[in-house]
Amino acid sequence: MGIKVELAQIRSYPGDVYRNYKKHLEIIETTTADCVIFPELSLTGYIIKDLTYEIYKDAEEATRKIAEKVNKCAVFGTIKEVRKGILRNSAAVIINGKLDYIYKFYLPTYGLFEERRYFQRGDPLKDLKIFEYRDLKFGVVICEDAWHPEPIEALSLMGADAIFIPSASPMRKLRENLAIEESWDSLLKAHSLMNTVWTVFTNVVGSQEEEYFWGGSRVVSPLGDVKLKLKLFYEDRGVVEITENELLRARFFSSYRDHIREFHSILDKL
Amino acid sequence: MAFSKFSKFRWYYTLNICSTNILIMVMHEYIRKSLTIDCEAVTNYIVERIREYLEFSNKKGGVIGVSGGVDSAVTATLLAKATDNFFILLMPSSSTPKIDLEDSFEMIKFLNAQNKYKLINIDEIVSLFSNKIETDNKYIIGNIKARVRMIILYAYAQMLDYLVVGTGDKSELLLGYFTKYGDGGVDVLPIGDLYKTQVRMLGKCLELPERIVTKPSSPALWEGQTAEGELGIDYETIDSILYLRFDEMRSEDEIVKMLGIPIDTIKKVDRLVKISQHKRLPPEIFRLSGRAINSDWRFPRRWA
Repeated sequence: MGIKVELAQIRSYPGDVYRNYKKHLEIIETTTADCVIFPELSLTGYIIKDLTYEIYKDAEEATRKIAEKVNKCAVFGTIKEVRKGILRNSAAVIINGKLDYIYKFYLPTYGLFEERRYFQRGDPLKDLKIFEYRDLKFGVVICEDAWHPEPIEALSLMGADAIFIPSASPMRKLRENLAIEESWDSLLKAHSLMNTVWTVFTNVVGSQEEEYFWGGSRVVSPLGDVKLKLKLFYEDRGVVEITENELLRARFFSSYRDHIREFHSILDKL
Repeated sequence: MAFSKFSKFRWYYTLNICSTNILIMVMHEYIRKSLTIDCEAVTNYIVERIREYLEFSNKKGGVIGVSGGVDSAVTATLLAKATDNFFILLMPSSSTPKIDLEDSFEMIKFLNAQNKYKLINIDEIVSLFSNKIETDNKYIIGNIKARVRMIILYAYAQMLDYLVVGTGDKSELLLGYFTKYGDGGVDVLPIGDLYKTQVRMLGKCLELPERIVTKPSSPALWEGQTAEGELGIDYETIDSILYLRFDEMRSEDEIVKMLGIPIDTIKKVDRLVKISQHKRLPPEIFRLSGRAINSDWRFPRRWA
């Protein structure tokens, strides 16, 4: 096992689907990797507010057009109309031209986020999926899902060796350090260590309305090592090789394989 | 939807706002029905809201600029119904048509406000500004005029402990047909959710002088300026498009079918709304902290 993954840390232009579409194609056509991972809602921009309703059809169309051109593997952020007028914040997962979707489960509504206003959340009973490309089994969760333990744990126990996390994390608390970056770093390391998986975090970069997305995309190995880190605040691309060695070393000496379901019986009642 | 739709990047359409060809259209029955208001209910509602707003702001009354146009006439009437504490400023300049000044005085008579108004000609102040910055550009001077009026309104508001009551309507606000920090610089916009055609309806119900209710809308920032002339579209059409596009969120193609007007007209209106969004929002604050004003702060106006 060993595949090359490219993190495409791009600036998305809110509402300008065509411009974002061209950027996606340019990267997909020039990549040296087997699989390219873009940020959350990379095709539409994240802070699009009521523009959501004007562009979701364009986004679906662009998604299909991109799918036709992917002869390896690509994951990017888009909007999917699951039935008439019901939209979901989605990740398009394309393998050899075949298009599938992953939906975000946890839709944030705190602070600046307004996702429940526009989107319906995914259903864990139907929408958890494992993909396989070449030798790699992977799962995809979108941004906020990584702030909860279950989605990544479930995908890992279902067989994923890598978790791709397209994200749109806005900058907050820039003082002597960037607090949100440290939080994400801790989260990714924790997920990687607890679930013995590679975590691949691709974040948006650049301004959208008041917000600034900080970039800083990174890959953490199952042993908790940061294997690649892209620039803060600027567009950037980087390739990392996901190999088997770290997985084996992590899994032989970890408690990951245990999940005591009774904990969930209690959690259910809380 | 054809893929080519977004391959033509849609904000690039050119606009000739100086066109004098005005497209006249009889308002579609469906829209006329949708925009028809219950005058009495709307009047009572807005009057009550003004009264309440003044009370919650701890202000004694409202100051308003009256131009001789329908918007300020209707707003001033609603303000006068809400409180006895209103004050009217007439702030003509050399580009103000004589008839507008006459109509302003007509309104003062109508509102029985002979002891509640002041006339200040702004030419001298505007000249000082334009001389100082060495411009004779009519657009720049036009915006100076609007902002000078705003300064005078706020000066009176402070003297009287009143609020500045704005007169913008929904059509103007959506089109960006106002000066930022000029006529857009106010404390409250009582008729800001009524389209121009609805304001005229209200003006008629309020029994305002006929000439004011029906006169073509104009900011009169320079001689001969009228909103419809500048846009090249009449307000019945503008309101129809605005209503279908932004209240009902219908597509451009659908509106073409409904109204039977050229798509370019719809695109022109659409574009004006989009390029003026910055005028309707508070200034952007670049985020640094954990909780930024506007973006995270959601405190109500009635906070303290």
